[in-house]
Amino acid sequence: MRTLAIYSNKGGVGKTAAAVNLSYLAARTGNSTLLCDLDPQSSATYYFRVKPGLKSGAKVLIKGGDRAYKNIKGTDYENLDLLPSDFSLRNLDVTFDKLKRSKKRLKKILRQFNDQYDIIILDCPVTISLLAENIFHAVDHILVPMIPTTLSVRTFKQLLCFCKKKGYDTGKINTFFSMVDLHKKMHKELMVAVSKDFNNVLRSFIPYLSQIEKMGIYREPVAAFSPQSTASKAYENLWAKIQKSILSAHGPHRTESPSSIR
Amino acid sequence: MGYNSRFSLLAGYDIQRSIGLLDDLYSIKKGPEESERISFYDTFDWRLFNKSLVLYQAGSRLCLRQLTRNNNIYSIHITSMPVFIRDLPKSRLREHLTSIIETRALLKLFEMQSLSTSYSLLNQDEKTVLRLVHEEIRYLTGKHKAAPMNYVWVNPIRGYPGHARKIAGRLKDSGLEASDKDDIYLKGLKAAGKGPGDYSTKIDIQLNPDTPSDNATKSILISLLGIIRTNEAEIEKDLDTEFVHDFRVAVRRTRSALSQIKYLFPSKVTARFKKDFSFVGKLSNELRDLDVYLLKKDEYKSKIPPALRDHINPLFEYLRKKRSKAFQTFIQGLKSPRYANIIKDWEAFLNSSQPAAADAKNAGVPIIDLARHSIHKKYRSVIKAGHRILKNNDDKKLHVLRIQCKKLRYLMEFFSSLFPPKKIKTLIAQLKKLQDNLGEFNDLRVQEEYPLNIARELPLTNGRLNNTLMAIGSLISALERERDMLKASSAKTFTDFTSPDNERLFKELFAAKHQRPFHENTGNIQQ
Repeated sequence: MRTLAIYSNKGGVGKTAAAVNLSYLAARTGNSTLLCDLDPQSSATYYFRVKPGLKSGAKVLIKGGDRAYKNIKGTDYENLDLLPSDFSLRNLDVTFDKLKRSKKRLKKILRQFNDQYDIIILDCPVTISLLAENIFHAVDHILVPMIPTTLSVRTFKQLLCFCKKKGYDTGKINTFFSMVDLHKKMHKELMVAVSKDFNNVLRSFIPYLSQIEKMGIYREPVAAFSPQSTASKAYENLWAKIQKSILSAHGPHRTESPSSIR
Repeated sequence: MGYNSRFSLLAGYDIQRSIGLLDDLYSIKKGPEESERISFYDTFDWRLFNKSLVLYQAGSRLCLRQLTRNNNIYSIHITSMPVFIRDLPKSRLREHLTSIIETRALLKLFEMQSLSTSYSLLNQDEKTVLRLVHEEIRYLTGKHKAAPMNYVWVNPIRGYPGHARKIAGRLKDSGLEASDKDDIYLKGLKAAGKGPGDYSTKIDIQLNPDTPSDNATKSILISLLGIIRTNEAEIEKDLDTEFVHDFRVAVRRTRSALSQIKYLFPSKVTARFKKDFSFVGKLSNELRDLDVYLLKKDEYKSKIPPALRDHINPLFEYLRKKRSKAFQTFIQGLKSPRYANIIKDWEAFLNSSQPAAADAKNAGVPIIDLARHSIHKKYRSVIKAGHRILKNNDDKKLHVLRIQCKKLRYLMEFFSSLFPPKKIKTLIAQLKKLQDNLGEFNDLRVQEEYPLNIARELPLTNGRLNNTLMAIGSLISALERERDMLKASSAKTFTDFTSPDNERLFKELFAAKHQRPFHENTGNIQQ
């Protein structure tokens, strides 16, 4: 099992769109995949037409046990399951703070899925608090979408500083450019500069496209409702890069297929 | 998570209409019609079937499920179907199958064509909460074209369990029958004219204790001849090495019966076939040695220091060439007039019912008496030899002890149906453990010597030869270390085998407790 968090400490950078499409593509390439929607806004849950809400609320992520397992929903796609979000997750930071081993709760919860999924993708809320530290502890890889703007780059630097200070392995942080507008000279220049200045920048980017925004209307991954579109191809490229550069030491494939059986 | 369930559709049942009627509860989204060819696999000796497992390939997916279950245990994506498990992509499926299938080849049993249409049942959010799949199946292998079978699958979506129950209930009410228990795989085997479990190397003959010994032994030998013949037919295809192995075991068992059960057949007959089957056994000796060596290639390479690992490849390349020659020699042997004559005469003898000859003094003794006598005698000789050999610490003699153990085990297996199953099984298992330990020890000894003898035959130039020789040297020393460790444990395994409990059990089962009434023609058992 490999765990991948789509994370950013800045909002509106295309995290959820990336999480939804990447998990769809992971499943389509034969990996048994779980997408965990940790964002109380529950956009990923919405995109998959699942009703938000967890039976035991935030306890699912605090106490663990079989609560997470019981809340998993099958999506409309083969090999892809979803752990929906819940509005009560907004208080997760405060709750974690009161607990023992407050930074390793999430890790323990994800570990129980070792046998069931090849890939777990986390769609994370905007945060750089205890929940973020839980995420850093729990996952194998962190993927940060970055809009090529000065503010975005600045926030990314803040993240790296924070991780270094707290002693997290910055080697597992990867980034890719998101919502790129190639008409803008500044976007192009910043992409070149960032690729030089930072390690682990994936050579693949997601352009700013209206097709991606239409996911809200279709409530499907763009790769599902418009597989031939530029947006879809961009996510396919990104997924190929992730497989090659990040998951290349990927362990065994295993899928439990929900489709018809002979 | 819920389980998929399946309903059979009788001819004329209008499934489209039944599904259409559900539109008061759900909106229904019909998927495209999909056509898929599905192939089912098992080994020649039905290893998967014996574990109640079904392995099938559907398009680019390879799936494993349990017999009469509708959900896969594992499913992986493959680009082509391999013959051997080791060629599958690294996966839990491969791990699971390796311990069961080992080195056997996967053979395609039959194929079927599936034509399916899926119907997604959507809730108010247009989210799929249940999938119904209408599937038409045609078997493609088989003499007669069977009529297609029609099914409807109720496939629940995780997290939406109530819908499956509700719809399954509705389908039942409309007169459909759940057909979860009649497995499509079993039906397909039947259509293809293949019987599951129709091959086994186990001797599975129920003997009657009072049957005269010659007839009882003949029935065992007939079953061994069956195994010889079945494998002989498959060996030439060279699918996997186990056909040769099973063939050899059956030949060895035949030889063992001829030599261990005394005065059973006319002495001339026994002497002739002892010689003949010794000839048959020798035909494949070299081939089997080479097979064992080549099968262990990866294991051996892992014992060599990484820097030398690839330098041992020329040895294996050479052995592979030798193996293909040895294989051809063996095939020629199987096709020789001498072999044909042996098998023909042997079969004729086993099926003849001549009166017992004067020198076949044990022919008429009830089999239970002869079985007890032969086993107990062999047991005592194994114990005696074991103590002596372990005391003298003679490696070569350990090999002799192993052969004695094997002979004892064969005898016990021949006659196991005559004794309480649990007790005889325990003893056979203990003996097998001892024999495996000694066997491994001997294999290591042979495998150490083998490359030494052929090193000078290797067709290499000086530079490469030196590296290869170094690699061989390091393999030999690794094997020797292992052998020393095994040797230490073999004394312990033998002591375990000679435990007072086992001794009591051997005595209880096999020592003659009372004189049974002798068969009128024979009198006492002849030794």
